[in-house]
Amino acid sequence: MEEKKLSEKESLELIAQMIRNTQQKLERGNGIPFLIWGYTTVAVSVLVWYLFSSTGNPYWNFLWFLIPVIGFPTMMWNIRKQEKGIKTYIDKVISYVWIAFGVAGIVVSTSAMFIWTLPILFIVVLLMSVGTAITGLVIQFKPIIFSGFAGMLLSYLCLLVKGYEVILVFALIFLVMMVIPGHILNWKGRKK
Amino acid sequence: MFKELNPLLHSELRLAIMSILLSVEEADFVYLKEKTKSTSGNLSVQIDKLSEAGYIDVERGFVGKRTRTVCKITPIGVKAFEEYVESLKGYLNL
Repeated sequence: MEEKKLSEKESLELIAQMIRNTQQKLERGNGIPFLIWGYTTVAVSVLVWYLFSSTGNPYWNFLWFLIPVIGFPTMMWNIRKQEKGIKTYIDKVISYVWIAFGVAGIVVSTSAMFIWTLPILFIVVLLMSVGTAITGLVIQFKPIIFSGFAGMLLSYLCLLVKGYEVILVFALIFLVMMVIPGHILNWKGRKK
Repeated sequence: MFKELNPLLHSELRLAIMSILLSVEEADFVYLKEKTKSTSGNLSVQIDKLSEAGYIDVERGFVGKRTRTVCKITPIGVKAFEEYVESLKGYLNL
């Protein structure tokens, strides 16, 4: 492209063409954030369940903090690796949504650990499922929308199931809510 | 009487850069070069012109050991672009 003068009609066509070129398409790797948080949560949940249920020692609950400790650096590494040259308004909205829900999740989990007794697994599933549903609605991807709303309904299982098994239910919900739709999103991106 | 078209925007490469930046939050040099199919030298000159006019913000930083130039449209740039499109409409009887 050179620095040439354009006719008025050419100008309008050029504007339309450039705007069309920036429209975000479904791309390979879009589902990776869901897989990072989904697999990390499932793995940490199973670890906490195993250690807590076999020893009865509540201090194993501190291992929940492994989720942000593993999740955040892995996310940063993924963002660097997947540098795509642009940030769209959709990217911005999604990152703000997850910053808000992430902070809420950490604050409420820390409160539950040190200050109050809260149905923390229920609250975390509810928060993350709302974040997932919003993400799905913004990117207009049905499996993510569906998994977000399914997560909201399934969160009640964390109130109904008692004992150590509730941790396994929590892991299972994250598998359905994040891991499976994350793989579907990646698969669709690869196909495109 | 027709309004004069802003000469800073009425040029193929600068208009392409502005159109891209209008529709995204930010774009880096490599992305702009790929989408506009321009040479690095020419793109760099035009980015500087738009930046000097206050139409875009240019941030030069590092990603690992690589340099990365990120461009973002400013409110002045958005206004200039809107006025440019309004003038175009006049010429095209839209």
